[in-house]
Amino acid sequence: MADVDRLSSLAEASDRILAGRAADGDVRGFEVLIRRHGALMRAYAARILGSNADVDDVVQDAFITAWDKLPELEDLSAVKSWLMRIVNHKAIDRIRARHDHAPIEDWDDPAPEREQPERQAETHSQQDSLVRALELLPDAQRNCWVMKEVGGFSYDEISAELGVPPSTVRGLLARARRRLMTEMEEWR
Amino acid sequence: MNAANDDPADDIVDVLSDYLDRGVEPPRELIEQSPENHLALAALLRVREAARSLIDVDEGGLSTGDEGWIDSILTNLHREVKAGRAIPLTHPSPRANLTLTEGAVRGLVRAAGDSVDGVLVGRCVLDGDVTVAGSPVVVRVEASVFWGEPIPAAAERLRVAIAGALIQHTELAIEAVDVTITDVHLRRTDDEGQQS
Repeated sequence: MADVDRLSSLAEASDRILAGRAADGDVRGFEVLIRRHGALMRAYAARILGSNADVDDVVQDAFITAWDKLPELEDLSAVKSWLMRIVNHKAIDRIRARHDHAPIEDWDDPAPEREQPERQAETHSQQDSLVRALELLPDAQRNCWVMKEVGGFSYDEISAELGVPPSTVRGLLARARRRLMTEMEEWR
Repeated sequence: MNAANDDPADDIVDVLSDYLDRGVEPPRELIEQSPENHLALAALLRVREAARSLIDVDEGGLSTGDEGWIDSILTNLHREVKAGRAIPLTHPSPRANLTLTEGAVRGLVRAAGDSVDGVLVGRCVLDGDVTVAGSPVVVRVEASVFWGEPIPAAAERLRVAIAGALIQHTELAIEAVDVTITDVHLRRTDDEGQQS
């Protein structure tokens, strides 16, 4: 079977089959997983990171780690949510590095001026205004909110990922919600 | 903006969020208690609704401009991590130490499986101590069959193809080839989005 044929028939395979092949070292199977889930992973990483900067790197890094760790994945059919967890972790790591690995309590300063996006003439939708509002949130608040509301992580999972008590997560989330509600109202 | 916690409006957001987190509708009395509560709930729901659409992307929504990005991921993969165990091979010279990697055997199984029409091979496990020559080995393979193919016949063709390839190319003492059909997939039709 030619390579191109193989790739197109693999494109119809389930995640479980592809993850199994990739775990065994099949690069073509892994490539189909990248094509299938890469866009979602990039969209999620952009929300965690607060901009498109570093997104390509973070997702690339996540896939390379996934390739190495796939043989340890017990439920191959859950590869999509497993990939989302890896990209979440990589994106949070990137933010840690941006803050010189300072404790998360110190990430809660207002977003620096340079990170503020240029205001376009108008926002077209609720989604646009939310994206804009998110970009203005301090990193710690944005990370908690995105993990909870977009990634579907539990309080405990967020707390473990960020290395802070659940009570801190609650506080950050509460502040994020209020800020977002207010910002979205202003853009209406 | 002031985010101090002594603002009474803060409490209602927390309370309402807790209800929504648990997937429970906030009590009607609470909402009707004050216009502020009503507004807070409406605003909260608006944010949540927008949140759900934040990562709405089409599956496979990468563009042609992403080919370079995909390539750079693929070229950076550590191929050697999949080598697995070393499987001894006999050689006429006693001083030669010849081995085959487990990864190579899995590749062989995959290639043999893919040569069977209507079948795609998934995970392959070599069960047994393959590092000791002559140890009994059971090969466990997951596979997917095209929709409409009779499954038992496809599984049998796959089993025969794999066993044949292993006997021909390795010295493994194959005790059994177990095939588990885990999925059924649709055959690609010609007019569907082509990837090149």
